[in-house]
Amino acid sequence: MNPTLALTWLLVLPLVASPIIYLAGRINVRLGATAAPARWLSALTLAAAGIPLWYLGEAVLSGGPVDMGVGTISLRMDGVGLLLAGTVTVLTFLVSIFSIPYMAGEEGEEKYYALLVAMAGAMVGLGCANDLFNLWVWFEVMTVTSFLLVAFYRQQRGALEAGVKYLVQSAVGSALVLIGIAFVFAQTGTLNLQQVLAASTHSTPQMLAAGALFLIGFGVKTAMVPLHTWLPDAHSQAPSGISAMLSGVVIEAGLIAMLRALGCLAPVSSTWGAFILAFGALNMVVGNLMALRQTQVKRMFAYSSVSHMGYMLIGFGVAVGYGIANGAAGGFFHLFNHALMKGLAFMAAGALLYSLHVARGSHDSLTLDDLNGAANRYPITALALSVAVLALGGLPPLSGFMSKWQIFVAGFETRNAGVEALVIFAALNSVLSLAYYAPLVNRMYRHEPSPTVAAGHNVSFLMAAPLVVLTLAVIVLGFWPGLMDFITHPAAVHFVSIFSGGPALAQF
Amino acid sequence: MSLSLPLLSAVAVLGLLGIGLLGLLVTRNLIKVVVGMQVLVKGAMLALVLAGKLSGQIQTGQTLALTVIVADTIVSVVALAFAVQVRRQFGTLDLQALSTLRR
Repeated sequence: MNPTLALTWLLVLPLVASPIIYLAGRINVRLGATAAPARWLSALTLAAAGIPLWYLGEAVLSGGPVDMGVGTISLRMDGVGLLLAGTVTVLTFLVSIFSIPYMAGEEGEEKYYALLVAMAGAMVGLGCANDLFNLWVWFEVMTVTSFLLVAFYRQQRGALEAGVKYLVQSAVGSALVLIGIAFVFAQTGTLNLQQVLAASTHSTPQMLAAGALFLIGFGVKTAMVPLHTWLPDAHSQAPSGISAMLSGVVIEAGLIAMLRALGCLAPVSSTWGAFILAFGALNMVVGNLMALRQTQVKRMFAYSSVSHMGYMLIGFGVAVGYGIANGAAGGFFHLFNHALMKGLAFMAAGALLYSLHVARGSHDSLTLDDLNGAANRYPITALALSVAVLALGGLPPLSGFMSKWQIFVAGFETRNAGVEALVIFAALNSVLSLAYYAPLVNRMYRHEPSPTVAAGHNVSFLMAAPLVVLTLAVIVLGFWPGLMDFITHPAAVHFVSIFSGGPALAQF
Repeated sequence: MSLSLPLLSAVAVLGLLGIGLLGLLVTRNLIKVVVGMQVLVKGAMLALVLAGKLSGQIQTGQTLALTVIVADTIVSVVALAFAVQVRRQFGTLDLQALSTLRR
């Protein structure tokens, strides 16, 4: 398949499939049956998207970025976009399988699948936008679909509240990004990322303001502290599959959008790297401290996402500020790992939530006490959840340790005392995070089963299958972290080449 | 000092952004929050048109603004749909009621 055709298919397939999925499900429901066609069509669409992705991957990895122009819109699939597209396709496929039993019989089930596929399509598009405004449009499509998915249980007060908070904060962030785009456009007369990069040779107040607006506007979606307040509500109130998507890929897509937008302003200021590092430190400490005091499992994982964004920001900050490709490679590797680990954590917690509460018609949240003794009754799910949290906490033979380690090593490559201190701080944070992950495992294996667990329903095969796949992936990547080098390395080299055009960060 | 059109537009952009942000900060009614968001985005739209004028590409600037109108309408529709649901479930549009999720 020719690369341009593959890119067209990859972008068109989910967006065209989304309304078809809705109609197929809706018609079947009207005929008095279930929304089953929507379930299977969404999984099929995402599996089918793997075919153009494969061809595109071969083309990008062997021949460099693939360009495509539609009218005046230019799209470019490079290493970074490919990594995002791959992560999104894999995780969304697993989530769509997981959701089949989880969402079965919910009101508006067909909308769920249509929106899920549309959200995945928007994120793939976001990865290959080559124009600031186009980037914003994809970002907005992703955001709007995620609003609807966060507030999917629209009869639930908590879900509505989370949806409203998320919507208002995101809308303000989007407006700030637009103003930033207006600044860039007024100054350079172009929006194409390469042309903006070529035109922004020296720093002017307008371009600095644009960079700050991008940092804040996209920072809302990236959950940079103190713009993270929507995240714990949205992640804990959404259906579990959507929590996995939000935590696993949506906030990362926001991060990639932010880095792309800042990338074209790289020569304007040498301090973007310092800002990213500072936010990284804040994210780690606030995320971890808040996660420590949570009693609800999904809310704890949500705060842990805040702290994991911190590790990624440290990796990218080292790459942006000091031109160290290893930092970006670590950041991208952690991005992929986090999608697997947090996807697994939310889906495993979701499987337990479903078995213990949702299957009995209750929408109570899953508390830590509910997990007591869960390993006796749910051995596979408990094992999956344990692997996920131990990997998130950074225990050595699991994948989370490997990507964190790569980021920390990159930090020491800077030979800068400030960054080295920051890396030590990050490592201490990683240890601190075990303080809330380890008791979780302890509860499941060492405690007597709680009455809730004893009364729970079984976990169905379709729910367990994605958990097993992800558990294996986390373990395999822990033993052979080099497996991902083929993609993280080109992405990192490309990433650093954008930023290294600017003056190196003199001091932190 | 004479007021040129770009300068006037720039003042209007700042005014709209200021009013929008102030509106978001001070109101507690969900519908008014939506209005505040709208005013804020209108400022951003005018900024895009102004940017097109300043860089000599009026058409592109207006095209961008048109696209933003579409996106902004969708966001507002979703926000108002949420407002309807909030009124149904909570019986009020006061944002103070929307703080059951603590910490």
